[in-house]
Amino acid sequence: MPVLETNSFGRVPYAEDAVLEFPSGLPGFDTHHRFLALQFRESEPVIFLQSLEAPGLCFITLPVLVVDPRYRLEVSAEDLALIGLSATHQPSIGDAVLCLTVIAVRESGPTANLLAPIVVNLANRKAVQAMTLQTGYSHQQAFLLQEAAVCS
Amino acid sequence: MLVMSRRKGETILIGDEIEIVIAHIGRSRVRVGIRAPRSMPVIAREVKLVRDENVAAAAVPSPGALSGLLARLQPGVRPGGPAAARNQGFEEEG
Repeated sequence: MPVLETNSFGRVPYAEDAVLEFPSGLPGFDTHHRFLALQFRESEPVIFLQSLEAPGLCFITLPVLVVDPRYRLEVSAEDLALIGLSATHQPSIGDAVLCLTVIAVRESGPTANLLAPIVVNLANRKAVQAMTLQTGYSHQQAFLLQEAAVCS
Repeated sequence: MLVMSRRKGETILIGDEIEIVIAHIGRSRVRVGIRAPRSMPVIAREVKLVRDENVAAAAVPSPGALSGLLARLQPGVRPGGPAAARNQGFEEEG
């Protein structure tokens, strides 16, 4: 099993099939294509996206439904094609895709980027930070957590 | 803000070097052609917002800020150090 050196978690053994591939990187990190999705019992439901290419690059994410249980995923045909999904219909969260929101932890509290969710095709582990076509989602959404999500 | 009405195919000039053409008008979207010097970055505003937000999110938060987040996520549970935790892998998230 390969082992990854990371700044945040030390040495992390991982399986190749836990690697997410971002064919076009992420905005601001266009050259970073491979990330490891890490989840720890102590920090559930947080999913850390640790770069395989930069030990110091790690995003804190949450399943988008934890932040907004009524989140509607609607992304462009181009974004869907990038991860090998058909553009004929929007993929369903938790079924065809994993949908994560990137969290920024600020002094004033955490915010979630609902404007650009990370969409992972569960069939091939290709991922994209897509731009939502829905209006009204913020890139800095402050959030309160739902009781149900916390208890799950 | 200056607001101008333009028809399909018409152009707006900004200074001497920037040219904006209304290429196509659809039901809810317009396609805009932009001619500008290579040195001038042209991106959709939301792409810049997301880029800046990613840079902010990638900055390593102070341990206090992260445990504050975890405390919100897990009322009643004292957050432990992730380094000591087991890697559940990705597919178990489902």
